[in-house]
Amino acid sequence: MTQFYGPSRKRYIRQQKQTHGRHPFGVFPAHYPREILWAMNVLPVEIWDPPLEVSHANAHLQPYICSVVKLGLELILQGQCDDLDGFLFPHTCDSIQNLASIVYDYLDIKKPCYFFYHPKAPYRSSSRQYYLEQLQTLASRLEKQLGPLDLSELKQRVQQGERLAYVLRELYTLRARGELCASNTEFYRVIRQGEYLHPDDFLPILEGFLADRKGQADRLCPIILSGILPNPQEILHLLDNLEARVAEDDLLNCSRRLLQPPVAREDPFEALAENYFAMPPCTTKDSPLMERVGFLLQKAAHTDARGVIFCMVKFCEPEFFDLPQMVEELKEKGLASLVVDSELNQGLSGQLATRVEAFLEMIR
Amino acid sequence: MTFFKELRFNFMKDLGGPALMSISRKGRKRRHRAPNPHFGPALKSATRLKEIMTRHYFLSRYTEGAKPVAWVTSGAPVELLRAFDFYTIYPENHGALCGAKKLGPELCAVAEEHGYHRDLCSYARIDLGHYFSGKSPAGRLPKPDLLFASNNICQTVVYWYRALAHYWDIPLILFDTPYNFEEINDSDVSYMVQQFEEMIPVLEQVSGQPFKYRNFQEVVRIARDTSLAWGEVLATMKARPAPMSIFDAFVHLAPIVSLRGLPVALEYYQTLLKELKERVDRGTGALKDERKRLMWDNIAIWYKVRDLADLFAEQGMNFVTATYTNAWTETIRYLDDQRPMESMARVYSLVILNNNLNHRLKLMERLINEFEVDGLVIHSARSCKPYSVGQYDMKRLLMERLGVLSVIIEADITDFRVYSEEQTRTRLEAFFEAIDA
Repeated sequence: MTQFYGPSRKRYIRQQKQTHGRHPFGVFPAHYPREILWAMNVLPVEIWDPPLEVSHANAHLQPYICSVVKLGLELILQGQCDDLDGFLFPHTCDSIQNLASIVYDYLDIKKPCYFFYHPKAPYRSSSRQYYLEQLQTLASRLEKQLGPLDLSELKQRVQQGERLAYVLRELYTLRARGELCASNTEFYRVIRQGEYLHPDDFLPILEGFLADRKGQADRLCPIILSGILPNPQEILHLLDNLEARVAEDDLLNCSRRLLQPPVAREDPFEALAENYFAMPPCTTKDSPLMERVGFLLQKAAHTDARGVIFCMVKFCEPEFFDLPQMVEELKEKGLASLVVDSELNQGLSGQLATRVEAFLEMIR
Repeated sequence: MTFFKELRFNFMKDLGGPALMSISRKGRKRRHRAPNPHFGPALKSATRLKEIMTRHYFLSRYTEGAKPVAWVTSGAPVELLRAFDFYTIYPENHGALCGAKKLGPELCAVAEEHGYHRDLCSYARIDLGHYFSGKSPAGRLPKPDLLFASNNICQTVVYWYRALAHYWDIPLILFDTPYNFEEINDSDVSYMVQQFEEMIPVLEQVSGQPFKYRNFQEVVRIARDTSLAWGEVLATMKARPAPMSIFDAFVHLAPIVSLRGLPVALEYYQTLLKELKERVDRGTGALKDERKRLMWDNIAIWYKVRDLADLFAEQGMNFVTATYTNAWTETIRYLDDQRPMESMARVYSLVILNNNLNHRLKLMERLINEFEVDGLVIHSARSCKPYSVGQYDMKRLLMERLGVLSVIIEADITDFRVYSEEQTRTRLEAFFEAIDA
């Protein structure tokens, strides 16, 4: 079992610094060109839901701000980012945008901060051009801190990213067919390690997991998870206990960032741009609603899932705005849905657990 | 567009509308509120403002089939639409109107019944509530042919307009303005200019009219002059006593938001400016006794504008500047009719909410100094995260740097279900005591 789990984040970050001279960067959600970071010997460590109690961050953020943002700031304020050599803030939503500015402009954190703006949909030819320029700008800014970017290294890392995506897609495909012997809890525990493991370490874990767990799984009730991330984790335990299999997901930190089969491109920046625009639809990219509905229906069709559970993080505007129409459209197509609205790391209340149970009974 | 409907629109614009509004004015019973003894004489221009805005909403009922209609976000570059003769409706302005009429919770509740969460922006919920119920204090809003949004004020407007586009199945044009984490650069400007170029064929198709560059330049000139006039209006509040208050400015803001680029807005601000200059010359203030001068941060609390105006007036405290009202003039110096696209890109992407928090802090410091501000009231608005996230640190930094006292009011722009009268009173009383100490 344990061979599929790497060391803890903290230990891993220190090891990476010592043994490879890598620069660990704290990266906030969600979309960013991690291949450029890898190529510059940076270890991106994503900050989604650190297991902390929020206290210091309340002096900086209002009560109506989501816990992804609050926990991220708490992590910095508690001094738990001291091992990091910098931060990267992608432009994901209004709250992360302003958090980036609080950290950079108002808190004297004495660490380099980088920003990455990805153009918003609907995409036009200007979007592609601008995205390419953003990639190049980010690279040239990083060069000032970390030295020149080796283009052949970048090419190699782009290929590695595509290989990683291929193995992940394989895992998703097997799971969708019921041919992956892994519980929901285990599946997400393994794949979420990609949020901090270097691909040189993560890829062998994924390949090992794929080889080891390929096989006919128990026939469980297939469902789809949508939302930001699989948290509270107790929901995964509960689904395991209730013999429901997450057959597919539409989670921002998981499949919405999964690269599609690549189109061959000589220029690594072009390849990154192609890969980005081919990624699944997402609220944080302003994708049109029907693209999202179509994406979910496609997943439901190839998994025979009869229900979708939306794991909502309280106060997450991008997700909550799409929700009513998503639910309505899915209902019209005969797909039931359940909305689980909670704070991160706050566990699953008895009431929510009962609602999940009732939902599963209904769709079985 | 049909000839008959165009004829009807023009008839209502030139003859029917003015006649009906005149009859309605004569027949309306005026509610007489006891005048607040702390206020100076009311602004005479307010009557003209009411006429302009009533006429705008009234005429909008006759646009269907006569004029292309666009619903537009408050920070979007409307100049481009004006060149195609779109009739524009501003849902945020409509939301403020609903808020002021205390209809916020009722319309929000309709959206909530349709699944929209109570934590979402209340302007958006009001607008969606209006979509589902048809209710509006403006009578009826015309169905749009086009939605035009810019994320220079928030990402929320895009989520909201995307929902409307889905329900109505109409085109949504997004003007994507990269957030200025640091300085704006050539790549950002070039991206925005390219977007304008990509919009033109869509606007031609929806409006059925070709793009006329000279008309566009003329609109840009009018928009620039109007924003400059609005800036001069606000600058009159540097005088002691200030000839109006920010609570007045919240109301007089409507034309610069909704009618920017049209001659009527420019004419209106020229009239208002003349009146304000006369008041300054005569030493007529918004308050009879202006003891302290304050700054407001964030959008107004629309359902409390009058109550707060009364409360602060009783204390002899006048709001003389606001980051919010300043937003429609702050960047206008970049607008150039000889380079309209490029300059518009800068004007619209450098606005306060699309700029980093350091920029905002510097702006606040400048306003505090220029307007000789004694204290700051910060509205932490649940609905507006880009305006509100960072305010706690701003409060601290302004105290450290300038020694300016401030108070934070936790509220919402239109949904008074989240407003606590008691908590606000307690905080403000403590603020009044501190500022007078």
